[in-house]
Amino acid sequence: MTTTLQMSETADNAAVSDGRVPDGVDLVEWYYEQGFSDGFPVVPPTPEKMAAMLAALGGEPDLVECKVPPRWGSLTREVLAVNMVMAGCKPEYAPVVRAAMLALTATPFNLNGVQATTHMACPLLVVNGPLAAEIGMNAGCNVFGSGNRANATIGRAIRMMLLNVGGAWPGELDKSTLGHPGKYSYCIAENEAESPFAPYHVEKGFDAGDSTVFVIAAEPPHSVTNHVANDGRGVLDSIVSAMSTYAHNNAVSSGSCAVVLGLEHARTLAGDGWTRHDIRHYLWDNARIRFGDVAFEHRYGRIYNRNLPKWYGRELESLNPIVPSAEAIHLFVAGGEAGRFSAFIPGWGHMTSPVLRSIDGAAPISGPVCVDGTCYL
Amino acid sequence: MPSDRANSGQPVYDPRGVVEAVAQPIAPRVAALKGLRLAVLDNTKWNANRLLRRTSERLAAEAGFAEVNYYRKESFSKVAAPAVIAEIVSNNDVVLTAIGD
Repeated sequence: MTTTLQMSETADNAAVSDGRVPDGVDLVEWYYEQGFSDGFPVVPPTPEKMAAMLAALGGEPDLVECKVPPRWGSLTREVLAVNMVMAGCKPEYAPVVRAAMLALTATPFNLNGVQATTHMACPLLVVNGPLAAEIGMNAGCNVFGSGNRANATIGRAIRMMLLNVGGAWPGELDKSTLGHPGKYSYCIAENEAESPFAPYHVEKGFDAGDSTVFVIAAEPPHSVTNHVANDGRGVLDSIVSAMSTYAHNNAVSSGSCAVVLGLEHARTLAGDGWTRHDIRHYLWDNARIRFGDVAFEHRYGRIYNRNLPKWYGRELESLNPIVPSAEAIHLFVAGGEAGRFSAFIPGWGHMTSPVLRSIDGAAPISGPVCVDGTCYL
Repeated sequence: MPSDRANSGQPVYDPRGVVEAVAQPIAPRVAALKGLRLAVLDNTKWNANRLLRRTSERLAAEAGFAEVNYYRKESFSKVAAPAVIAEIVSNNDVVLTAIGD
């Protein structure tokens, strides 16, 4: 039996009006039939679960937090709560999910473009600060993988809202040729407890006691293996190698990227005296792409590539950085104790800017902040 | 949110959020192209320029446009600037565009 919602207006512009279905209807199947799922079974919201989630969001169910492109649906707190419950979130995840949606819908992120692009990029979330541990996020072993409720369901709730509220259904408003697995969930925490460096958000001017969420439109992680180097330069040269191919989107579209150091690599670097500042600048200075490679030697017609900065060299032998500055390389430490691996995560390009946002309302510390050799005014 | 009234059944929730924007209908198809002003909107994707220049040249040869005006978006991933759209609306009758991926 298929039961349809009582819609207030048209099918695409309606809230459930006094929505009820008969007792005995399988709600998991019912939500599938409405097209409200990311492909996995959803947790059917109940009045009790909704009340708890709304309370965690601060009440006021009709308050519009943001509008989600490209459909531009209104994300009220009630709709936020519905999607969070359906994704399997606990109420204590609410501040993270809410902050992430506000970061994603900030103008510089260009979510409209990220959602609709033919490229595979999708938002990666990185959570910093004490809240990550308080809600049980995994920052360690298998950090990008499965097995942790907070990572999985926070990322899933974001995707549910990008689908349900933003309308990014594959083939409709999401035109991605291939997509990538992060379009189910792509959410980690930095391993602050084990990292030899200051946390990412502290480098950006927040207090260590603040909690933040960072969002970047990104390709999947590209593995960097180096089991041999026992000095910082050797580790970084492997990352440079991963960054220097001309197939990823930074190569042809500039923008920003992320690098995630595994713990063993991070400790080798720290033990060799490298700071976050040193690492980002070494990567920026050495990860170069020959212009002739991204211009295909002009054999398909003369290529200028206006998506790359004007100051980049356009001679065939010009060696250009993959992003315009060392600050466009966002550096994190994550993962488990064992294994000499890191990851390079290309971004989408200059069409989007990553956004770092406070979860608890704190602002960056004013005045000069110096961390690991990096000073910000 | 389902009401609390005492009717039977299980509550269900809509996760989509209301869209407040009103969809605009597309302009009616023109009957003939001869003598009209054609706007070509290049989204600046890799092959858009090539595709649109060749297509508009062939179209112009057949249609006999009064003018062909070429416009570029600032970025292929963002909507055209309001000033560009206003200029197209003011000085053209039909628009040709393509993705050019």
